[in-house]
Amino acid sequence: MNILLNDNFDLKTYITNGGYNALKKSFTLKPEEIIEEVKKSGLRGRGGAGFPTGLKWSFIPKTKTQKYIVCNSDESEPGTFKDREIIHKNPHSIIEGMIIAGYAIGATKGYFYIRGEFAREARIIEKSIYEAKEAGYLGKNILKSGFDFDITVVRGAGAYICGEETALLESIEGKQGKPRIKPPFPAVKGLYGCPTVINNVETLASVPYIVIYGGENYSKIGVEKSSGTKLFSVSGPVKKPGVYEIPLGLSFKTFFYDWLGGMKEGEELKAVIPGGSSVPVITAEEAMNTKLDYESLQKIGTMLGSGGMIIIPKSQCMVELLYVLARFYHHESCGQCTPCREGSGWIEKTLNKILNYKAKKQDLDLIVDISNNMMGRTICPLADALAMPVISFVQKFREEFESHIEGNCKICGK
Amino acid sequence: MPKVIIDGKEFIAKENETVLNVAERNGIYIPRYCYHPALSIAGNCRMCLVEIEKMPKLQIACATTVTDGMVIHTQTEKVKKARQDVLEFLLLNHPLDCPICDQVGECYLQDYYMEYGLKKSRIDLKDKNRKPKRRDIGKHLILDNERCILCTRCVRFCEEVTKTSELFINSRGDHSFIDIKTEEKLDNDYSLNIADICPVGAFTSKDFRFKERVYRLSSTSSICLSCATGCKIKVQHNNGKIYRILPDPNIYTNTWICDNGRMSYKITAGPDRLTKSIIKSEEHHLNKAIIKLFDILKEAKEKNLKIAILLSDYLSIEDNFALYYLGFEILKTDLIYASKEKEQKIEDGILINKDKTPNSNAVSQISKLYGIKKYEDLKDCDLLIGFYDDIEKLNIPKNKSVALSYKADKEYDNLIAIKTYFETEGSFINWQYFLRKTAPSVSAPTDTISVYDLCLKISELFGYYPKEKELNKIFNELKYKTED
Repeated sequence: MNILLNDNFDLKTYITNGGYNALKKSFTLKPEEIIEEVKKSGLRGRGGAGFPTGLKWSFIPKTKTQKYIVCNSDESEPGTFKDREIIHKNPHSIIEGMIIAGYAIGATKGYFYIRGEFAREARIIEKSIYEAKEAGYLGKNILKSGFDFDITVVRGAGAYICGEETALLESIEGKQGKPRIKPPFPAVKGLYGCPTVINNVETLASVPYIVIYGGENYSKIGVEKSSGTKLFSVSGPVKKPGVYEIPLGLSFKTFFYDWLGGMKEGEELKAVIPGGSSVPVITAEEAMNTKLDYESLQKIGTMLGSGGMIIIPKSQCMVELLYVLARFYHHESCGQCTPCREGSGWIEKTLNKILNYKAKKQDLDLIVDISNNMMGRTICPLADALAMPVISFVQKFREEFESHIEGNCKICGK
Repeated sequence: MPKVIIDGKEFIAKENETVLNVAERNGIYIPRYCYHPALSIAGNCRMCLVEIEKMPKLQIACATTVTDGMVIHTQTEKVKKARQDVLEFLLLNHPLDCPICDQVGECYLQDYYMEYGLKKSRIDLKDKNRKPKRRDIGKHLILDNERCILCTRCVRFCEEVTKTSELFINSRGDHSFIDIKTEEKLDNDYSLNIADICPVGAFTSKDFRFKERVYRLSSTSSICLSCATGCKIKVQHNNGKIYRILPDPNIYTNTWICDNGRMSYKITAGPDRLTKSIIKSEEHHLNKAIIKLFDILKEAKEKNLKIAILLSDYLSIEDNFALYYLGFEILKTDLIYASKEKEQKIEDGILINKDKTPNSNAVSQISKLYGIKKYEDLKDCDLLIGFYDDIEKLNIPKNKSVALSYKADKEYDNLIAIKTYFETEGSFINWQYFLRKTAPSVSAPTDTISVYDLCLKISELFGYYPKEKELNKIFNELKYKTED
């Protein structure tokens, strides 16, 4: 589907490559027909949770109240940098996707919520919105269809939690980014209390393709329940790290050797975090036997997540790595729910002791216990996002943690 | 009406009712910190987690609305474990302050710990997070951020009830702390309610701090007389001393009380409390004072002097009628005065009434019934009996007055030391026309007397023995409502 076409950031190039044809086609369809196409395509939310996009759109009530479409571009998950690439290379595909989504759900207003650190990207999007407006793709009576749509760019202030959709809404409203209790879901009561759809950048960028080629054709890419292509942002000591668009269902082995070129000289694969830092880690062996799609990864106890793939070599101490993750999640916990607020700090403190050879034997079980006590007991999944790595790291690499308690880690040599 | 099963028993719930409310209505208590019936739902403390069949995760009872056929468990091992875990998290960074904390005895942390926790701490003392302590946050409050469990009841109170929004959560994660938005102080008219709703010892009342342990206090239900709203209150006292006033939440008048009303108990034991009556600038014990007063009245009556009586919006129905009786039946004077009708309305949209007297709705009715003149008509008199606060406002020569007073005032020649309504009963009609009674919570100083008893004693000295029935007949003539 060529989300990453080169030089498409320019409106002229985008149009030469067939840009905004999907929008034109959309206006010949009824909104319900578009939702139906998206449902048929099997497109699932690319932000991490993988919720079926068409279904999400269909939850919007058919009333005449104000509705909103929000593009979630708060890409902050450690290891994930795919949305940034789309903004750089193909910003109009996101804008086109947003307008189509707005038309499909009856929203006349869109918000482009972009991560605070993405200063350059915010400028790109603002410029693209300006271009689209000048060309008549945004504003009043778009392409004489009678449909009005406008997009406002909102920049975040650097909080990871604002990627959670309800915290994001709070942030747009000018409040502290703290997730809301659900239900009510945003589809019923979202931004400013109005029905709202929040979609990831990559999800929205896939919409024009689906409209042009039809949902059925899109669903032919990939495997049964994981249709289409997915961007993977690969970091770690592989020969060719970067952002890749692959058809879902590709085997990790093929991806690893044929696309990424395998490990760098002198490095050996130890483990993989397949979908951003909050998903459970898998060992090299598990990785080599799995395919990259929602179901296959779920089967082995991890998740596709955002596609932020972190390749971990044997030379990396897992205790050190987990400590970095724990520090991140502790720092980013909004502090609303008790288990996450207190548990994240407690895990970081305990891991710090383990890392620095100051821990007692029971501390290893303690962090697993804390993680279990945090899991599933909070408003948003940030607690789980820390608990899952902790549990999987300790479970799969227990000997490394034990060596830190005994005081003889051969890897980090601290 | 959805039917639900909680812990094996079937209950009928109201539409859109939460699990917590249905359970509570039927006598099943679910522990909570952030939930407060008068505030919006925050759902952050996670203490009220319950198990609901067909839902994979535990759900918070405070925010989950019931649906027909829902099966809820509040006492399973899974639920108890969750409560224990949440409690462990809450106590993780909580200081070991209990011996010096004012909340002891009404602390949710302590209470639930005894019920669900009873676990040894798994964190080293030196690893606990430190936060600001003993912050002077406002006129009436001290804030200890270390004790705070961040339930946000206080933040929501200031946003939703007083709409002053002084408080917010500063910072994030386990470094979050309640802070004040501006450099100004937390100084709204209802700030002490925050000390009440704070489930732990984070907000404490400057007035009450370190005075008495709450488990030693007894509670007496009464009403606040600071304005015509007439809020229901609980007066808490021990060993004849009042320590604090709390609201007695009810659907009719008030959920909260104002800070001013909360401080009204100070009249009972302030340094200027009048404990002995003064007649002709001399202090007397009660019996002697009554006889001296009788002598003055008798002499005035014999000399045909003009004796005026003031009814008072500050005094109870019984006291006012006894005063009227004394004037009309005994002293045979028609110089009886009352204040004119007052405008009554809630001036701040919450509780504080424009009419700052507690009983004008009763007194104005008595005035109408008995054709009593207004204060403004009082031109000239030789002797005047009335309540101190009214006399103060009326500009009457102080040597001509006999003031019924709680307060000592050297400018008066004659002051009768009367009981406050914390020390004696009295009936009042509030601005909604509810008839309510004060109840004595502490005993009055020995040489004080209620206005009613004083009038009775004087009547007796004049040789009249009014029957109680005669004095109570006024209640048949007044218009009022009762709560049930």
